[in-house]
Amino acid sequence: MNLDAGITGIIMGGVLSLPVLGIAVIYGMTGITNFAIGTIGVFCAFMTWTFFSYGTVVGILVGLATSFVIGYVIQWFLLTPLSEKGGDSTLFFIVTICIGLVFTGLTRVLFPRPNISLLLPRMGTVRILGVTTSGLKIFAFFFALSVLFLIRLSEKHTNIGKSWRATSQNLKLAKTVGIDTQHVFAWASSIGCMLSFSGAVFWAALYNVSLMSGWDLTFLGFIIAVVGGIGNIWGGMLSALLMGMVMSYSGHILGGMWQSVVLYFIVILVLIISPRGILGSERSL
Amino acid sequence: MNEKELVLEVSELTVNYGATSALKSVDLFAHKGEIVGLAGPNGAGKTTLLETIAGFLRQKEGDIRLFGTQINEFPVLKRRMMGVVLVPQERNNFPYMTVSENLDVGGIINCKDVNKRLIEEVYQLFPVLHTRANQLAGTMSGGEQRMLAIGIGLVSNASILLIDEPSTGLAPKMVTRLFETLGSIKELTGKTIVLSEQNIGVIDIADRVFGIEAGEVRFCEKTEDLDRDIIRDLYLGK
Repeated sequence: MNLDAGITGIIMGGVLSLPVLGIAVIYGMTGITNFAIGTIGVFCAFMTWTFFSYGTVVGILVGLATSFVIGYVIQWFLLTPLSEKGGDSTLFFIVTICIGLVFTGLTRVLFPRPNISLLLPRMGTVRILGVTTSGLKIFAFFFALSVLFLIRLSEKHTNIGKSWRATSQNLKLAKTVGIDTQHVFAWASSIGCMLSFSGAVFWAALYNVSLMSGWDLTFLGFIIAVVGGIGNIWGGMLSALLMGMVMSYSGHILGGMWQSVVLYFIVILVLIISPRGILGSERSL
Repeated sequence: MNEKELVLEVSELTVNYGATSALKSVDLFAHKGEIVGLAGPNGAGKTTLLETIAGFLRQKEGDIRLFGTQINEFPVLKRRMMGVVLVPQERNNFPYMTVSENLDVGGIINCKDVNKRLIEEVYQLFPVLHTRANQLAGTMSGGEQRMLAIGIGLVSNASILLIDEPSTGLAPKMVTRLFETLGSIKELTGKTIVLSEQNIGVIDIADRVFGIEAGEVRFCEKTEDLDRDIIRDLYLGK
């Protein structure tokens, strides 16, 4: 029974880690807290649902392309210019919340249903330590893990990755040595939105996604990211897994109503003990 | 015909911070292969001048020309592509990257072979950077970080390096070594360097010195013609 809750928690954490990674990539690179990321992910999941009749792959590709374009455009035309004009964190909080509300509104206007679930291939069942779980859940977990490693490897071994790290660590010097930081920011935003979209797709396949799910993804994602050390993708992943376990076990032992009480109490506790998060952050909020 | 190529030409440059004038009608020039020293006390406007040339600040009036091309409206990246590289006084490395990664990034726009050669040259100039190649830049001493900053500038393969107060906060012995190295960089690479300094030792390595005070150029002299009293007056007042 307890092992079952543990595996559910790890998988939930794995799926949650996708928007958390998205937040970490955007914040780590641009220093901007983008609160629209969840609603953009959910909007694109609705796009995928709309195009699902043309095939699963087509639907997912449309969602990915849409999230890429949205991420790029809002960063290039809105957030980077605001940042260059000296926009502070309060301004970005308000602006990105407004962008999030625009996408919630657009989801309501453009799509006929307020909630969806996506029928992804179930990929059979897998038995781990005596607990049976669906192959899709395992796939979701390993997908998140692979994304994390892919990001880390490219940061370490490719010029593009190095230019991302350089931009996040010293913007002025990055510009000085010839890194096109405006493109770096736009790419970071696009990758963040695509990760959020991936999280929303798995969420819609394993549970379901509604108009307001984007805000859940955003706020839970941010809290998890801050607990891990915002901008630190290892910290984000670890925190997501821990929080997934906390949610799963607290729901299992105390009942669903206690889930958020336990979760947020632990968040407060962790941040009192370690204000920069479990693994610390190269940037601070 | 003997006149060296003019790399940088700044004329009547005025820069304001709000209502305050930081630079007033400043003229400056640098020929190919020269070290041009910007001497002056703290707050004279040296950093403002270098940051304006690099494109981080915008001028209110005046002209900046690089190899004869007006670059007044060019963004930082375009100026960089034309060969202007600033080595800032502070925050002049990528602290969570190793020394070798810092140098790699410094030459990110070069092709791989050129980068490799330039990094080797930097390691020869600053052997300590070679021994610290795998150390995180932010964990090195102040002097080593300054060397790395100059190394990043050199790897960038710039036509003109704008180095902002490299000796600040360094021990006197370290300053002497740094100036010697800058002198040898000029000999070895033939690079044009504009070097802002509060340290009077700049006149020992510069070909030409511009004295700046309160945002204005007080004098421009070839080093061999320079009257040391003028320098003393610049720093200590008449």
